[in-house]
Amino acid sequence: MTGTRLSRWTMSYFAIAVAWLIAAEALMSFGFGFPAADLASPDTLVLVHIVCIGWLSMAMCGALFQFVPVLVGEPLFDERWEMPALALLTAGLATLLAGFLSLGGRLPVGLWLLPVGAALLAAGFALVVLDLGLTIWRARPPVGPAHFVFAGLIFLAATVTLGSVFAWSLSGHGGKALDAVLASAVPLHATAGLGGWLTLTAMGVSYRLLSMFMLAPEVDGRSSRLTLGLGAAAIGVAVAGGLLTVAAETGLPIVLGAAAALSLAALALYGRDVVRLYRNRRRRRLELNTRMAAYGIASLVAAALLGGALATTGSFAAHVGAFAFLVAFGWLSGLVLAKLYKIVAFLTWLETYGPAMGRVPTPRVQDLVAERRASKWFAVYFACVWGSTAALLVNQALVFRGINVVMLIATVGIVQELIRTRQLADVAAPLRLPDGTQAPRLLYSRN
Amino acid sequence: MTQYIDVDVRPILRAGGEPFSVIMAALERLEPGQGLRLYATFKPFPLFAVMADKGFAHSASEIGGGEWEVLFSPAEPAPAMASPNSQPTDDWPEPAVRLDNRDLDPPEPMVRILGAAEQLAPGQTLSALLRREPVFLFPHLEKRGYRWLGGFTPDGSTYELTVRAPS
Repeated sequence: MTGTRLSRWTMSYFAIAVAWLIAAEALMSFGFGFPAADLASPDTLVLVHIVCIGWLSMAMCGALFQFVPVLVGEPLFDERWEMPALALLTAGLATLLAGFLSLGGRLPVGLWLLPVGAALLAAGFALVVLDLGLTIWRARPPVGPAHFVFAGLIFLAATVTLGSVFAWSLSGHGGKALDAVLASAVPLHATAGLGGWLTLTAMGVSYRLLSMFMLAPEVDGRSSRLTLGLGAAAIGVAVAGGLLTVAAETGLPIVLGAAAALSLAALALYGRDVVRLYRNRRRRRLELNTRMAAYGIASLVAAALLGGALATTGSFAAHVGAFAFLVAFGWLSGLVLAKLYKIVAFLTWLETYGPAMGRVPTPRVQDLVAERRASKWFAVYFACVWGSTAALLVNQALVFRGINVVMLIATVGIVQELIRTRQLADVAAPLRLPDGTQAPRLLYSRN
Repeated sequence: MTQYIDVDVRPILRAGGEPFSVIMAALERLEPGQGLRLYATFKPFPLFAVMADKGFAHSASEIGGGEWEVLFSPAEPAPAMASPNSQPTDDWPEPAVRLDNRDLDPPEPMVRILGAAEQLAPGQTLSALLRREPVFLFPHLEKRGYRWLGGFTPDGSTYELTVRAPS
């Protein structure tokens, strides 16, 4: 057992991810895509894929390359795949976006960009899925949260497969069968991606990180497996059942009803587990990351309630944009930003001061951050997310744009805090770079 | 065909004891070419590195109830055991320092262990109790030439770590 080394490229993934997040928010502030354009318009597709692949998936992959080895107590299957995966994902996303822009007539290039982008993305995600999947597989039997990551990776593969089918179809090479999938399966692609890959993985990661950062006893394995079982069943029923209904051309409401019931049960169990984590913590004073994670999780609960209310009143289809916005920016982005704030500080601390620790006085992790200053940005961010959701619900596109400008500023503020942490800007001078240490690089780690 | 000597450390682990010396003593008694079949209440990751140093390959299988059977087989039977340069297998001395880091905020346990380890005289050991396996600590111990052995207590609530300074 040689322990866990720092992942060299995790910071590079994070840097590219936050750059895409800022790009997405800037586009929304300019009124690009939904709600000014239709939900299914090419412009909205650009926006959605920047958020889901560029920001959320990149951040998640970067975190998992560091986190999965910690989780299973074994080194990563192959560290050398991290960088090629990042390059393929970045090139793939850029190509796919160019394809969407040409689909919308904004670029003259051609629709062949779509399948090329999809193939590059599929290759990049395949490296990620194989590297992480084999790491977990090799350390079997997997421990609690690793089950979630494993299930998440399976749904990632499903999402990419569906997306590749759409890309072929949109470029005119689909044929009748694939065109039928494109016509009806877009919601399934979104469910597999946002629900299966991002939400299940975020849940699994949150179990371990919350318990670690709050000194709380781990959630009992049986309890978390039941949560995962129900959650995975919900997404599985929605995606597999949904595809069957595409073929059978009937029965979609039954499938969606079953999936919704299973999701609510899974969310209730997840809520119970998380409340238990917060209640049983030994660290009484919460750090910024766990306080803000609670807002993220509250956004998930709010999204579930909103989804339920919209479905009962029959207006889900009309407001699916507001629902997806709350899931993507309140729950997923909120949680990821909160956790990035802690993870970047911890990894920077370990990289910089680990070699000198015990030999000379070194700062604490908390000395690398200025929580009071950062918490203002986070508060503004979450207020904007909830305000934007409300604006979408009442169809106030201009108000949505205005709030998004503020949200963009808050996000830049949070990113600025991450950069300051990386630069050790808030560490007092005598402790900042003692003998035997060297300043970390902004965009990658020395391991 | 390798002949295996059985060592069952499950009773020691269940009683909250430290089985390292028993394993090392059994290792001393092995004839050249013999292997060790170990029974433990957890997968003894830290032992794998120690045994690899001594020229043993391992293969671990779970035997139910979270318990493990590990076969340590001599990688190159006779020469490795007969080598005059092989590491002494003496017991490690009693810990000179005992740390209880279970209620410290992470990563304070790691900071304290590295701080205490730097104070050890050559060959001395320290022991520490933790809530989690300190996975980020191990690369730093390795870089500084320390050896270590650790594992969870049977109820999984405490990780016991022993660190030995290079002699």
